[in-house]
Amino acid sequence: MTSRHFLLIVALVQGVLLAALIALIILNRWFRLRRSARLQPRRVAVDDSMRRWAAGGTPLAGVLIGLARLPASLAIDALVGWSARVPGERWRELASALEHQWWARLVRTNGSSARWWKRLECARFLSVGAMPADVARLVRLVNDSHAAVHVAAVASLERIESTPLTLAALERLPRLAPTVQAYYAGMLRRSRAVVIQHLLKRLRRGDDPALARFAEFAVRLAEPALRERMTALADHPNPEVRIQAARALGSFPHRESVTALTRLVADAAWEVRAQAARSLGMIADATTLPRVRAALRDPEWWVRLRAGLALMRFGTAGRNALLEIEVGADPAARDVAKLILGLPTQALAEFAA
Amino acid sequence: MSALGGVVTGTDLAILVYFLALNSFYAVLLLLSIPEIWEQTRLAEDDDFQRLMQSDALPPITMLVPAYNESATIEASVTAMLTLEYRSYEVVVVNDGSKDDTIEQLRHAFDLYEVPRIYPETIATQPLRAVYRSRTRSRLLVLDKENGGKADSLNAAINASRFPLVIAVDADTLIEPDALLRLTRPFLLGREIAAVGGTVRVANNCTVKDGRVTDARVPHRLLPGIQVVEYLRAFLFGRLGWNRLGGNLIISGAFGLFRKEYVAAIGGYRTTSIVEDLDLVVRLHRYLRANKIRYEMPFIPDPVAWTEVPESAKILARQRERWHRGLIAAIWEYKGMLFNPRYGRVGFLAMPFYAFGEMLAPLIEVFGYVVTVVGLSAGMVDSSFALLFVLVAWGYGMLLSIWAVVLEEVSFRRYRRFGDLFLLLLYASLENFGYRQRTVWWRLKAFVSVWKRRQVWGDMTRKGFGTEVSTP
Repeated sequence: MTSRHFLLIVALVQGVLLAALIALIILNRWFRLRRSARLQPRRVAVDDSMRRWAAGGTPLAGVLIGLARLPASLAIDALVGWSARVPGERWRELASALEHQWWARLVRTNGSSARWWKRLECARFLSVGAMPADVARLVRLVNDSHAAVHVAAVASLERIESTPLTLAALERLPRLAPTVQAYYAGMLRRSRAVVIQHLLKRLRRGDDPALARFAEFAVRLAEPALRERMTALADHPNPEVRIQAARALGSFPHRESVTALTRLVADAAWEVRAQAARSLGMIADATTLPRVRAALRDPEWWVRLRAGLALMRFGTAGRNALLEIEVGADPAARDVAKLILGLPTQALAEFAA
Repeated sequence: MSALGGVVTGTDLAILVYFLALNSFYAVLLLLSIPEIWEQTRLAEDDDFQRLMQSDALPPITMLVPAYNESATIEASVTAMLTLEYRSYEVVVVNDGSKDDTIEQLRHAFDLYEVPRIYPETIATQPLRAVYRSRTRSRLLVLDKENGGKADSLNAAINASRFPLVIAVDADTLIEPDALLRLTRPFLLGREIAAVGGTVRVANNCTVKDGRVTDARVPHRLLPGIQVVEYLRAFLFGRLGWNRLGGNLIISGAFGLFRKEYVAAIGGYRTTSIVEDLDLVVRLHRYLRANKIRYEMPFIPDPVAWTEVPESAKILARQRERWHRGLIAAIWEYKGMLFNPRYGRVGFLAMPFYAFGEMLAPLIEVFGYVVTVVGLSAGMVDSSFALLFVLVAWGYGMLLSIWAVVLEEVSFRRYRRFGDLFLLLLYASLENFGYRQRTVWWRLKAFVSVWKRRQVWGDMTRKGFGTEVSTP
């Protein structure tokens, strides 16, 4: 075969491909328009029947028939959309009725599919339509390898109370990226009693590599029952754990918290000192004012900034301290005091957040 | 004569091999873009976003908005940025010593008042003149500084930013309301993300209301029209394909989200760089690989930002020449990464592709034309063969462009009208007849500029989005 023949074959293949692509574009658009025209009235019908049923106007059967006429993915979209607008008791009635629907049974079986998008469909459905019998399936989905699947599955904690499911999510939490951890934490807060009981156990394991993450979650809960454990963690050798302890203690205005924070504001790690200064400001115990004032001479800018902002929370005494420092001898402390005193209220509030 | 014949034949063969290798690689990218867009479309259609929007899991974001002589568009752009569907974000606008009344426009539109600076200068920048907050928009911070260029402005904004993620947005760029939310999807999916890029689309001829694109249209003028296809091709199949190869080397400076700690660790944007976004991404790869930090830099297609593209050949020529000059400078600067096993797929795939497939492409293409003309005039090359070769090369380019239109059609379908679809196909077909050769020429001029060590910024004349652009 000569190079001319080769080029001719390439040109021919290109021509066929070009024609095929143009045909694909036109057919795709035509197909989508037809599909949309066919499904749109059904979607509207489901919305109508759902609205009437939610208001107590029609029986549930109308909603179930409408949902069954939609493709499963669209039916799930409709359910997810409506789940936030229908009161809990009525929604449970719908979830219970869906257990016997053929399409919902099919979606449930997708929970063990090898394809992630099938499992995602199942997880999304169960996030709004799970029943107690689905707990084992949900635990499996919460441990799924695909992030979209387990993120969707953990949302079921909003609607279903189950200790195994809560514990599965809690055990997964330290292995997740920070943003996903925050999302899980939001979901887990709903099962507070189980979570706190389990956290108390986990926070006792001093050598646990996941301790810092559990401590971080404990901070989000701001639960008084955890105060004692968090105070004990103030002396942990891992600075990341001490940062979390310093953060948590700011929410507990207690004598022991103040003692621990006074120690932490002189910690070797500047991140711990900055956090401790911030927490001392949150508690605003008058006896700690000299310590916070001293932190304004810290070699680290962030600690000085946090200490300055903390002083503003001590009221007149803190403000007077800043005014004194503003004309004092230490130039670094002076600069921060000047900055803090010049901040408008709104900026102060934003920085304090 | 036989020696010349040998040179011509050898060169033709070399160009044919280059053409085959490069196009085979494009074919690989094309194939890889299929599963990628399929997965991304599935995730983009997930309605659970509404639920995530109401959670406090979303990472707070700082939008960095450098502005230089953006008086015509600044108010509409910043207003649109301040009303995005995102829970926790701030907008830091940097007036980079504009010669027009950009700062006055901002002061008047957002009722600015001066505040003291309360952050350390982590990255050195040109001196700040003043820092402003707004009485009407608490999310807004405005920095007024001496002129130092886009990179310097971005660095100043990074210094002032409070949040762990930063997104560089051009002041003339219109961000879709849910774009930030979509852009954070990889973070919500728990991946180790160093940076993530979204799609930039062409806003020319679109209907813009209150800083938002309300009706996406394809321009009727040839030059911006062809750029629509170019952008689709670059974003929808080029970058998606690179996702699967683990080496996205460009995250658009007009719309890219970065982890601030990494950007700060490499000293922010380089002020001496011509194309600061490419330079930043290459340095990020180098830093993360060298420090053995696990990371991903994905591109996701559904977050969309709209930008005005040049409508005159003169401005477009300047833009393309600058882009190519930046590419040459970056490849030269980081040549140590080429085929260096330390940098993994970036060193073995992305860098060589950009060096040989992108940077050298105009040189080789022009060289090919010259040799073919010489060969034809000396009777050493068969004219019908040369014509066939050129047609196949152009046909391949057309195929890639139409493939980008296919990806757009099966995924996001922003252009709803059949007329726009027809225009897209028309521009995809016309691109190779004249336009492509002109871009080759502009890019070729970049080599001359590099040779003369020119580092001049191109200016872009903008019509502004403030007035509604009506459709004929």
